[in-house]
Amino acid sequence: MASIELEQVTFTYPDADRPALSRVSLRAAHGEFVVLCGASGSGKSTLLRLIKREVSPGGRVSGAIRMDGMPVERWASREAAAAIGLVMQHPDNQMVVDTVEHELAFGMENLGLERNAMRRRMAEMAGFFGLEPLLSRRTDELSGGQKQLVNLAAVLMLQPRVLLLDEPMAQLDPLAARELLGMIKRLNEEWAMTVILSEHRIDELLPLADRIVRLDRGEVAFDGTPRAYAREAVRRSDPAWRLSLPAVTRWALERETAASRGLEPPLSVKEARSWLEASGERPPAPGVAASSMPPAGAHPKHLNQALLTAEGVFFAYDKHAPAVLQGLEWELRAGDWAVLFGGNGSGKSTLLQLLAGLRQPQRGKVRLAGAKLSRISPAERYAAIGYLTQNPVLHYAHDTLREDLRQAARHAGLPDPAAAAERAAEDFGLAALLDRHPHDLSGGEQQLGALAMTLMSRPRLLLLDEPTKGLDPLAKLRLAEHLTALHRQGTTLLLATHDVEFAASYATRCSLLFGGVIVADGAPDAFFQDNLFYATSLHRLFRTQGRAAEGAGAR
Amino acid sequence: MREGFGFRSLHPIVAIVYYAGGMTFGMLLFHPAVLLAGWLGAVLANVALDRAASLRRWAVPMLSGIVIVMIVNPLISHRGRTVLTYLGDMPITLESVAYGATMAIMLLNVLTLFVTYRLVLTEQKFLYLFARLLPKTALVAMMATGLIPRLRRRLGDLTLVQRTRGITVTEGGLAHRARSGARLLHSLLAWSLEDALQTADSMQARGYGTGERSAYVSYRFRARDGIALAALAAAGSALLTGWAYGYGLLAVYPRLETLALSGGDRLVAAVYFIYIVLPLGWEWRDRSAWRASNWSR
Repeated sequence: MASIELEQVTFTYPDADRPALSRVSLRAAHGEFVVLCGASGSGKSTLLRLIKREVSPGGRVSGAIRMDGMPVERWASREAAAAIGLVMQHPDNQMVVDTVEHELAFGMENLGLERNAMRRRMAEMAGFFGLEPLLSRRTDELSGGQKQLVNLAAVLMLQPRVLLLDEPMAQLDPLAARELLGMIKRLNEEWAMTVILSEHRIDELLPLADRIVRLDRGEVAFDGTPRAYAREAVRRSDPAWRLSLPAVTRWALERETAASRGLEPPLSVKEARSWLEASGERPPAPGVAASSMPPAGAHPKHLNQALLTAEGVFFAYDKHAPAVLQGLEWELRAGDWAVLFGGNGSGKSTLLQLLAGLRQPQRGKVRLAGAKLSRISPAERYAAIGYLTQNPVLHYAHDTLREDLRQAARHAGLPDPAAAAERAAEDFGLAALLDRHPHDLSGGEQQLGALAMTLMSRPRLLLLDEPTKGLDPLAKLRLAEHLTALHRQGTTLLLATHDVEFAASYATRCSLLFGGVIVADGAPDAFFQDNLFYATSLHRLFRTQGRAAEGAGAR
Repeated sequence: MREGFGFRSLHPIVAIVYYAGGMTFGMLLFHPAVLLAGWLGAVLANVALDRAASLRRWAVPMLSGIVIVMIVNPLISHRGRTVLTYLGDMPITLESVAYGATMAIMLLNVLTLFVTYRLVLTEQKFLYLFARLLPKTALVAMMATGLIPRLRRRLGDLTLVQRTRGITVTEGGLAHRARSGARLLHSLLAWSLEDALQTADSMQARGYGTGERSAYVSYRFRARDGIALAALAAAGSALLTGWAYGYGLLAVYPRLETLALSGGDRLVAAVYFIYIVLPLGWEWRDRSAWRASNWSR
């Protein structure tokens, strides 16, 4: 008997002319790990919310949703709340109370559990998750990854049979995401927990999942094993499918020969290596790997003068806090498409804000084309240096996208703000959304809107903080196209990111921030060649190959 | 942090009685000297609890509020017999100046005490106290208090980013600044409401409202709680008696009486001070116990 079973479920939001889900049938067996994928707006969240009836959206629904053979609406309210656990996207917004311990207890209190039973579950769960050191901390002091771990643990306190996760990693950096994913996998394996996880970036999930279900405009477009999904995705020429695969899988399947046709498609670097050997594909020289990627934007030599320089920049948030940046020296040259890597809390965002002139360094200075940033008037500074923060919502201040764009155009001093707003929306494919409230746009749309606003003043330099966070592969591609066009027009770009694959495809220069200074700086190829962690999976694949070849030669 | 130590180890009932009393008397008593005595006690409590770190953080907004009260009262109230000077044809009276100053001290005292309230009565204790009486109201109140720091942080982020598009309260004309400020608040609220909906979902998803709640946290009413409550009750009734007899009150209108303290006033000031610092006794006791055990090692 299936743990969760959907039969011909069709759901229409009130006032919508098209159903958000149509005739969706889906079964998740006990202990199965199902990954639900599809672009933003394909109905993933709606589906999960229909299963979790406490948060079901209002609207017309037909078909049946059953848990353990019984329709979910027939379960007693307490049992239903406990039996299906839901973790959502935003780590912050799911936290209700002040301390971690109380947050974990919140659900148990709602169910009216005995105090001793609560304590016991707390002891167990804190042990399993290693949360003991955090129990007495305030929830708002935790990092995003810790918060999401607490949210997961808080849901598990109710001992659910089914765990639903709605894009739980979208707001996390890759390291925290991997940690959370490891925990989910452990739950699935050690407790045989049924897991249904929705996510639009599934390259890390393919090796872990038992089954992939892809939704396309509310319909099930694929339902099968990860390897079958990989084959299907390559068979279709649709980039939305193809781009959802891990880079190594795509690479291998695109090079499929007669010898390798019978082999299972590789889903990880390790599998890709044995695939290479089995298929008889010759390991290419590392340089080939780089040239197999889209050529990085042409680098006009005459533009090589320094545009923005940081000279011995020190910055601390508080006089008692350790300095985030410690005498940082760096230089951005005109025409660069630079990417800045660095761990969490390494000060990437802070550095960007300093370079944008939003914060002043305590020591050292930042120069824009030789002039001290602090001497340039704020209006001029912000017009010359565009800055896009991690959370695009922060850029909006009005009730419609149109109003926001118009205000930006007016602020940039354009002669006809209304027309400029229309034109910008047209350029970024947002024309249909002009009269929407900015908060009702998807993350990718918000990002493009914010970019359009920033570009009104035609900045020479654009600083973007984690622009690919939470974007689905297609949205990422669209963003990349816009950035490439800008770069071709001569805008200098700087991205702070964790997204190695994205950086490898487009950047002309990569830098690594560590210990408050830049520790590595160079052309992408040389940069990735020397790294193990900050390296694309293809670089990693060929690096091990190269090493093996060298070893054999020496013997 | 540091729950179960000193002041913070006292039962929530004792703490809520203490704050209810401290603030009530802070508002009933109306004499600068008495209120200053209470304020001194409240400052000591702040120092004992977190070396006045939170107090220092709140100092600027608190002091500016107080200065405003001090200035505004003489400007809008012209009661009193003793006219000090004229502002245009507006009389500024000694009485309204004195009244404003006393009001300001009263405010200072209550706010300073309230800073320690946030340290001692954590949301958990608050919930424990009110969950049984008014479960929903308690939760709403608690979430609201938790929201303030989050809003403050968000406003910081928002101000930083919006500055790049000219929406700022630090540059430009007054009208522009006011409009920008309103814009910032507007976006902050829209954003936070949006998030509140998700919080509500998260609560429902974890079974909120499916029946009677139980409480995870339990507090035992220990001997020290009984003693503290008795001591507070004794000090409180003494204060109430003093107040009923008219001590600790400054007659401002129609003519300011002398600021000199009568014997009764002095007594009220001393008892109020004692009331405020009473729970610090446990802070002191636990600290000395700790020192003693360190020495013996």
